[in-house]
Parts: sequence; C-alpha cells; structure tokens
Amino acid sequence: MNYSFDFQSIAYAPLMKGLLVTLELTIAANAIGLTFGFLLALLIMSRIAIIRLPAMLFVEFFRCTPAIVQIVWFFYCVPMLFNVFLGSLTMGILALGLNLMAFNAEAYRASIQAVPREQIDAGIALGLNPFQRVLYIVLPSAFRASIPVLLTNGIVIFQQSALVAIVAVQDLMYQGKTLATETYRPIETFTIVALIYFAVSFPVTQIVGYLERRRQLLVS
Amino acid sequence: MDLNFSVLLRFQDALLLGLWMTIKLTLICMVLGCTLGFLVGLARTSRNVFVRGLSSVYVEFFRGTPVLIQLFWIFFCLPLLLGVELSNLTSGVIALTLYMGAITSETFRASLKSVGPEQLDACVALGLPKRVQVTSVVLPQAVLRAIPTLLSNCVSLFKESALVSAVGMADLMFVGQNISNNTARPVEALTIVALIYFAIAFPLTRAVSIIEARILKKLAI
Repeated sequence: MNYSFDFQSIAYAPLMKGLLVTLELTIAANAIGLTFGFLLALLIMSRIAIIRLPAMLFVEFFRCTPAIVQIVWFFYCVPMLFNVFLGSLTMGILALGLNLMAFNAEAYRASIQAVPREQIDAGIALGLNPFQRVLYIVLPSAFRASIPVLLTNGIVIFQQSALVAIVAVQDLMYQGKTLATETYRPIETFTIVALIYFAVSFPVTQIVGYLERRRQLLVS
Repeated sequence: MDLNFSVLLRFQDALLLGLWMTIKLTLICMVLGCTLGFLVGLARTSRNVFVRGLSSVYVEFFRGTPVLIQLFWIFFCLPLLLGVELSNLTSGVIALTLYMGAITSETFRASLKSVGPEQLDACVALGLPKRVQVTSVVLPQAVLRAIPTLLSNCVSLFKESALVSAVGMADLMFVGQNISNNTARPVEALTIVALIYFAIAFPLTRAVSIIEARILKKLAI
C-alpha cells in the first residue's frame, strides 16, 4: 500500500457544524419519540379494536420497512400528498421522530406488560383507583425498566439520522460526503466522520450496558 | 392530486429484478454474517487478550457507527487502501457481512452467557470431558436460545440492505427511486417499494415471535 495519509487537509469546521445538525435531529426526534411513543403504547394496549388496530399498523409499518425508504418517502410524498412544505430540518426531525415513536412504543409496551400482576393486585387491595394504579404503580416501574431500551433506541436514531444526508439535510454525513469529494480525500474524511459518530454513541452504549447490569443485580 | 398506480405495471420486471438483488444480498450476507458472528462471539470470550481486544474493537466500532458510513467507507476507501477494484456486489457483501457479523456476535455472546453455571457444575460432577461439555451441553442450548434474535437480526439485515441504493447498487430501493425520477410519480413508486418491503418483513417478524414463543415453551423459562 502506497497511500500517503493527509489528515491536515480536512476542514473540521464544517464537520462540527454537521455534528450540531445531527445532534439537533437526534435530540428533537428523541423528544418526539419519548413522549408520543408512550401515548402510542397506551393506544396499542387499548381494549377497543378501532383504537388498537390503527396504532398497531402504524408501529408495524415503521418497524418493518427500511428507515431509508421511510425518509425518502416522507421527503418526496408528504409535500405532494398533503400540500405541506416544511424546512428540510423539520422534515428530517418528523421522519426520524415518527420512526422512533414506533420503536419506543414497543419498548414501553413490553415493560408495562412486565409489571407483575401482584403489584396491581396490591394497588387494588390498598384501595387505589385505576388511574392512581397506573400513575403510581405501573408507570414508575415500567418507565425505569424501559430506560435501557429507550436509550438504545435513542442512539440507533442518532445513527439512522445519517440517512437524511441522502435527502440533502446538511448533517455530519452530508458534510463528510461533500468534504470527501471536494478534497479528494475520502479515506481521511470518512474515517474521521465514522470516529465522530463512534465517539458520541460508544459512551451511551457503555452507560446502557452499566444500567442493564445494575438492573439484573437488582432483579436477582 | 391524482394517484395512478397502474403506471407502475410497466416497471414490474425492473421492480422484481431489484427485489431479487435485495434478497440475494440479504441471503449471502445472512450466511456469511452469521458465521462471522459466531466466530467473533467465541473470540470475545477468549482468554487471549489480543484476540479478545481485537474482536471487541470490531464489534463496538460497527455497532457504534451508522451503517451508511460503513458502506461509504467500504465502497470508496477499501479499494484505495487495497489497491484493487472491487465490484459493487463485492463491496456491498463485505459491508453488510461485517455489519451482520457485529450484531450477531452479540447475540451469540448473550446466548452463550445464558447457559447457567450450574449446568457446567453438573458437567464436572458427571465427569464429562471439556469437548463433550461444549458440544452436547453448552452449544445446543446456546444456539437454540440465539435463534429468535438471529432471525430478527436477519430482518434488520433485510431492511438495512436498502442502504446499498445510496452507493448505486440496483436493489429494490434504487429501482424504486429510479422509477420515481423517470415517471415523476414518487408517491406511487415509493409507496409500492415500501409495501413490498413491508410484505416481506412483516410476516417474518410474526414468524419470529411464534418461533420465540415455541422455544421459550420448550426451554420452560
């Protein structure tokens, strides 16, 4: 191999600007996913079929199609179908947020169903009404149990956010692609971009691992 | 706006070719990726620090970066570094196999760990040699437990394979985008593509949960 590396020629300023956009996308999508995901989880578990089925269809649709298809579909079809024209960043946030909502709803559902029956029985014995049982018994333990999965989903969305580069949102991946073609230094640029993504997501996955281990100790 | 899905009938063959490419890519990388993942999963439990360190770095790196950047890296940088031309299919297979290997190695590692220490104690008590202990006690249980997660990894692989369209491989997504550009009917073309992906992935996820329930029943846990 006779390739001479030149990391000096990479301009870091646009990459940092791109990282900010990526983080903005991630945080906004997580805000949507964490709140509306919980509401969606309640809808999926509804006893009324008319409420449950559309919610389930929504979740399954987002879980069973590639994220890139969802994002391209969203960018091309939403303006045409509904006549709404939003900024590309807003569109990116909405597309990623809807995807995360579906995944988080599943996480919430699994942990709500994992709340032991005895605890709810104890709530009844203590004379709590159904609303209080959900608020004081189901919600706290279900939310705590789902934190590792929610964090993992959040970091997956951070990685999936790279897909918006395909529809020309100027995130980290997009800046990397532009820089690689401008400088003719794809190896250096893509390596640095990959390392930046890694530097953000690795610590979070370590935290998730730590939380899971601690939880297993608590449970056993 | 008026929707006209019959426009797409002309492109039936193109869509089928794209779908075939997607399926071919998924199947090849599934087999190669699971093999790689199994080996890496074993390597991560190795006593040798070097082997363990290297496999951990590989897994963490591929799990910690977007698949899109992995693909770009392999498409644009690997040929430069190796000094050889790689065909589109080869690069795609390398990239998705490495991705699949990283996620399945975690699955195998978790399932190897799930075989309880009391079973190993029982092996010692029965005086079983180490080889028998691995082939008849640990592996069958570990593989059985890994199957549901492995299957859902395969579904993820099928979905992630759509990314190769971004580097110009003619898979289902790429064909769909081409049709949408040529006919100026993105809504119809992209919706059909999404529905085709859904029609394959959804039954698979259902099958995974049925298999999972069966295995859980069998293991009585």
